[in-house]
Amino acid sequence: MLENEVEIKNSTELIKTIEGLKSDGYRYVTMICLKANDGHEFIYVFEKDYKLKNLRYFVKPGETPKSMSGIYLCALLIENEYQDLFGLTFEGLAIDYKGHLYLTPNSPKAPLA
Amino acid sequence: MTTIIPFGPQHPVFPEPISLKLEIDNDVVVGALPSLGYVHRGLEKFIDTKDYIQTMYICERICGICSGIHGITYSRAIEKLFNIEVPERAQYLRVINSELCRIHSHLLWLGLFADGFGFESLFYECWKYREGILDVLEKFTGSRVIHSMSKVGGASRDLNDEQIDHIQKALDTLEPQVKNIEKVFVNNYTVKKRCVGLGVMSKQLAYEAGTAGPTLRGSGNAIDIRDTPDYDIYRDLGFKTAVGKDGDCYSRTKVRIDEIFESIKLVRNALSKLPNGEISVPVKGSPTGEAIMRAEQPRGEVVYYVKGNGTKNLERLKVRTPTFANIPSLLLMLPGVKLADVPIIVLTIDPCVSCTER
Repeated sequence: MLENEVEIKNSTELIKTIEGLKSDGYRYVTMICLKANDGHEFIYVFEKDYKLKNLRYFVKPGETPKSMSGIYLCALLIENEYQDLFGLTFEGLAIDYKGHLYLTPNSPKAPLA
Repeated sequence: MTTIIPFGPQHPVFPEPISLKLEIDNDVVVGALPSLGYVHRGLEKFIDTKDYIQTMYICERICGICSGIHGITYSRAIEKLFNIEVPERAQYLRVINSELCRIHSHLLWLGLFADGFGFESLFYECWKYREGILDVLEKFTGSRVIHSMSKVGGASRDLNDEQIDHIQKALDTLEPQVKNIEKVFVNNYTVKKRCVGLGVMSKQLAYEAGTAGPTLRGSGNAIDIRDTPDYDIYRDLGFKTAVGKDGDCYSRTKVRIDEIFESIKLVRNALSKLPNGEISVPVKGSPTGEAIMRAEQPRGEVVYYVKGNGTKNLERLKVRTPTFANIPSLLLMLPGVKLADVPIIVLTIDPCVSCTER
C-alpha cells in the first residue's frame, strides 16, 4: 500500500476521479502497471504541491481499460508502452501505436506480461 | 498541402536515435509524431534475473550522464522498503555526487546546444570546462561515467581531505569559467536570435503536459524535487529553485546556467558541513512492500517504483525518466515553428533516449 492511495472500483469512477484531479490542479506524474490475479493493476500517480496522490485500479482479465490521454494528453506514451510490454489495449488512446511504440513485428510479444 | 518528413533517428543534433515524423506545410511544422524503440533494452524485464543489490548496478547503467542519480534514487527507494535511515555523511556524499553530475550534464548540454546552432568554439569551451568536473568525479568515485558511489544502505565511497581539497579547487576554477560562457549564452546576438521567443510553452501548458525539470521551470513553474520534504538535506544547504519566466528556448537555457551556479554553491556548502561518521549501514533480509521515490536529475524528475515480495528479486521495477515526460511537450511546442528551428527546440528538452528507452 502506497501513501495517499485511493482504490478505484470501476472505469467510470476512474475517469471521473482523474477529471476531478485535473480540475483540482494535480500534475500527471506517471502510471505503473503490475500483473495481479490474472489481470492487471494500474497505479496512476499525480502530484500537487510536492505531495503524491495514487489511484489503484484493478483491470480484470480481458477487460479493455479506458485511456486517460483524453484528459492528460501526456499519458499517451506510457499507455502505449503498456500496450507493447503487457499486451493491453487502451480504449480511446490519443495516438495509438498499436503495440509498436518500442516493438517491431519481429520483437517478442508482450515481454512483461 | 502538407508533407511528412523524417527528422532522425540519425541527425547531427541527436547524440542518440529518436525519430520525429514532422508534418510540414510550406516550411512550417503543423504536426509532429515521435518514434521510439531504436535502443530499447528491456531493463525492467532484465531485473527478473538480478537480485535487488545487483539491480542497483543495472539502474546506474540506464544512462551514462545521470548514472549517479539513478543509483541514488533506486537505493533510496529500497531503503524506504526496509525503513532504513542512512547515515548523515552518506546523505551529504550523495548530494555532492548528484550535484557534480548535474554540473557536468548541464555543461555537456550547453556544448551540444551551442553546436546545434553552429557555435563550435562555444561548444569546445563548454566541454573543456566539463572535463574539470569529470576529473573530480574520477578522483571522487574512481570512474568518469558510471560512478557506483551509492549503495543500498548508504555510500560506497568516502571523501578524504585531499579529495575535498581537489573538489574545492576545481569549483574555484570552474565558477569564473561558467560566468564567461554565461555572458555568451545570455548576451550574444546569434544565440538570442536563435532562442528568444522560440518553442514557447506557457506556465499552465507546461504544468498540464506533465513536463519535468528545466523545461518545466523555464516556463515559470517553481517545481524541483530537491525542494521536497523528502530531501531535507537540500533545504539545510540553502537550496533555491532556478526558475525562468518566458517558457522559450532562451529561458530554458538560462535555467540550466543558473542551476550550474546553484550546484556549485550546494557542493561547497555540503563540503563545508560534511559531518563525520559512518557512510553506510548494513542491510539484511529481502524487501517487501511497495515504494515510490523521486529525485531531480539534470533533465528533471525521475520516478522509481519498486515492489518487493520477500525474495531477493524485486517483483517489479518501474522507472519514469524525465525525457519520457518531456516528449509529449514537444508535440505541443513544435507546431507553428519553422523546420530550421526544430533542432534547437528539440535540444532544449535535453533529450536522453537511453533513459527514455530503459
